[in-house]
Amino acid sequence: MKALTANRLIDGDVVFWKAGHWVERFAEAQLWADDDPAATAAEDAGKGQPKVVVDAYLIDLVESEGLWAPLSYRERIRALGPSNHLHHGKQAEGGAVIEALQHAHGAARSTGRVNLIKRK
Amino acid sequence: MPTLIELKDGVCKGVEDSFTHVADDAEIPDGDVILSLTRFQTDGDRLLSAGRRVGVRLEPHEEVEALAYDLPRLSVVAPAFPKYRDGRAYSNARVLSERFKFKGQIRAVGDVLREQAGFMARCGFNAFEPADDASANEWQAATHRFRHVYQRSSDAHAPAFVERAS
Amino acid sequence: MYQYDSIDKAMLADRSAEFRGQVARRLAGELNEDQFKPLRLMNGLYLQLHAYMLRVAIPYGSLNSTQLRKLAWIGRTYDKGYGHFTTRTNLQFHWIKLRDTPDILDALASVDMHAIQTSGNCIRNTTTDPYAGATAEEVDDPRVWAEAIRQWSTLHPEFSFLPRKFKIAITAAAKDRTAAKVHDIGLMLKRARDGALGFEVIVGGGMGRTPYVGPTIREFLPVNRLLSYLEAILRVYNRHGRRDNIYKARIKILVAALGKDEFARQVDAEWAKIGEDADLPDTELARIRGAFAATRFEVLPAQSEAFEVARAETPAFARFVRNNLKPHKKSGYGIVEISLKGIGDTPGDASSDQMDVVADLAQLYGQDDIRVTHEQNLVLPHVKLDDVPKVWAALAEAGIATPNINLVSDIIACPGLDYCALANARAISIAQHIAEKFRDPDRAENVGELKIKISGCINACGHHHVGHIGILGVDKKGEEFYQLTLGGSGAEDAAVGSALGPALPYDKVAEAVDTLVEVYLRQRQDGERFLDTFRRTGVAPFKEAVYADAH
Repeated sequence: MKALTANRLIDGDVVFWKAGHWVERFAEAQLWADDDPAATAAEDAGKGQPKVVVDAYLIDLVESEGLWAPLSYRERIRALGPSNHLHHGKQAEGGAVIEALQHAHGAARSTGRVNLIKRK
Repeated sequence: MPTLIELKDGVCKGVEDSFTHVADDAEIPDGDVILSLTRFQTDGDRLLSAGRRVGVRLEPHEEVEALAYDLPRLSVVAPAFPKYRDGRAYSNARVLSERFKFKGQIRAVGDVLREQAGFMARCGFNAFEPADDASANEWQAATHRFRHVYQRSSDAHAPAFVERAS
Repeated sequence: MYQYDSIDKAMLADRSAEFRGQVARRLAGELNEDQFKPLRLMNGLYLQLHAYMLRVAIPYGSLNSTQLRKLAWIGRTYDKGYGHFTTRTNLQFHWIKLRDTPDILDALASVDMHAIQTSGNCIRNTTTDPYAGATAEEVDDPRVWAEAIRQWSTLHPEFSFLPRKFKIAITAAAKDRTAAKVHDIGLMLKRARDGALGFEVIVGGGMGRTPYVGPTIREFLPVNRLLSYLEAILRVYNRHGRRDNIYKARIKILVAALGKDEFARQVDAEWAKIGEDADLPDTELARIRGAFAATRFEVLPAQSEAFEVARAETPAFARFVRNNLKPHKKSGYGIVEISLKGIGDTPGDASSDQMDVVADLAQLYGQDDIRVTHEQNLVLPHVKLDDVPKVWAALAEAGIATPNINLVSDIIACPGLDYCALANARAISIAQHIAEKFRDPDRAENVGELKIKISGCINACGHHHVGHIGILGVDKKGEEFYQLTLGGSGAEDAAVGSALGPALPYDKVAEAVDTLVEVYLRQRQDGERFLDTFRRTGVAPFKEAVYADAH
């Protein structure tokens, strides 16, 4: 699976693509199957908004125990926030989804925190 | 004909450019020409003795010292910026203007952007072929962005330590 | 301290206005990101993982209380109430919005601060000894020369687009607190037998992918010829440094390729042509010197009763004194180091409230003078011994009286993968896990001086090559792994560390450091530091212990 992400120009915030607009939560991100041409179409649309976002790109997701998570640790940190300040970034919002991310098991990495998101 | 901006006595003006840049594999047209260093070394003498005005484009890896004995005969030396990030042309321009006291035109060519206009002017460039469509007015503003400077360079701007002492 | 005059202030105002225009053009779409990126970088503005990061210059690590309070205010107003002090003695804000940056630059300019040349391929902030003007070890005040270089290098027309970034450090003391030998240029101020001042000039040290301890290219450069000589070095580098490969573009590669003698010959040839016109006139040097001579010291007895009583009665204060108080050149004064390495905290982070506390203490007890160290701590360079107990109490109340300067938990760490777009692995949490292992201050003191330095990628912002224990984060098939090096030093005995063995996974690093320390304690002979023991025994016993555990 894939999702589309970027940083918003005006404030640098991490955003994800959802049906033609940008949202701030990975939980709300639109997900595509790896071979879905809609993913690259969305990427082209995102790259066509240089006054809105910087550097739109697709990220790979991995499945684990019925959940989807960004494949790379870097992207998981972007989706949550820095691990040294747990009250900073998107993780600060708390709530069921964030807790599910933080408590889930079976991420791609063998160590450290496990940050997953429920599959839609 | 590309826009050329000339800087004279602190004023930037758009002017007609009488020079033509000549590629190494192109026929040399009539009139004033700017050649590569290599082309100048083969064809320069002939053109100059025919009374033509000649300029030389210096790529960053070519050092102005190579032109030392030709400078009095040249109308234009054009240190090139293939990328604005390549800062070697600044050194060429300073050596040309400060060490060789070159009195002709020192022209910035290549990826010439107004964000660097102030640096170029301070290093002795007095003519510019903007790659960003900047107007003479915008160039004027960019070369006068800073009221003061800290260091001596090729321009007449008195550095801070001179201002303070006066 | 140096006071900005109307010229210095006008420079900052003009720069701020320029950047405001550039941001407006970017937001309006007149500049695209490719065009805007180099402009924002020239003002220290990066786009990182979660937000923009603004790196504020702290020239030669020197601040007054008004400036530190303004940084605290910016942290509170535009960030999340904190800032991060870096190994270049600058301050980074990690949660900045592009739209706020013109206002932030104006706020900085209002207290004579800026973000000029905190990024880009230009001459970066010149660093110097955080004890300058306070230590008896120095032969002269290095800040005079650091300020001269600040002015000379600011918006230098010829040297703003070098092959790569360029960093200069100046030390005037034999004990080097600036890592001068691993800089592009390291300047070591010396006094000749006849009393003349000169610099030993070291060029081409560095870290990153190919670490070098820099060679000396000139044993004694008369101080008043400094700027012309720097100009000669920079011109040779600007013209001949490699531009085809970003990893081979630093001056160290040029110096190594030419050999130091040939490089020195080229510099000398250029220097002879430049001549004395490029040097600062003595009047300007005298003006700058005057600004740093203003510190007034009282004549005090060497012993302070209040200090001695507190030391005898309060073990925690005595521990702070043992580790964080350094000798001052004037009797009755001390240099107070403020550790930003609390156990479990992020190395180099200070909250806005903590910055305010330090500013207040500097104003009340410290001649309004605050320094930032390249080891990411703060210093109050001039505190009367009488006042040290009060300073300590206030620091303790603010949570920044950790008595661990130069100890195992006084760790340098870059922001790493938690913030930085370049990082391969986390650095902060590794530092936190190691510090936790040495939470017991008796154990930490028993271990003694041990410099651990952690970088989250090969760019080496965390100076891992010169750590007594260096830790480098690498990405192995998407996993965070860490390569350990031993025996590095950034001080006067500079050395690049050598690899311990195969990289370790994230959750084995702190344990491995603990093992290395245990080996050291077993092997240590009278008074040896970790580094000394390592240099005597070599890597074998350390390697054996760490990888024996791993099997």
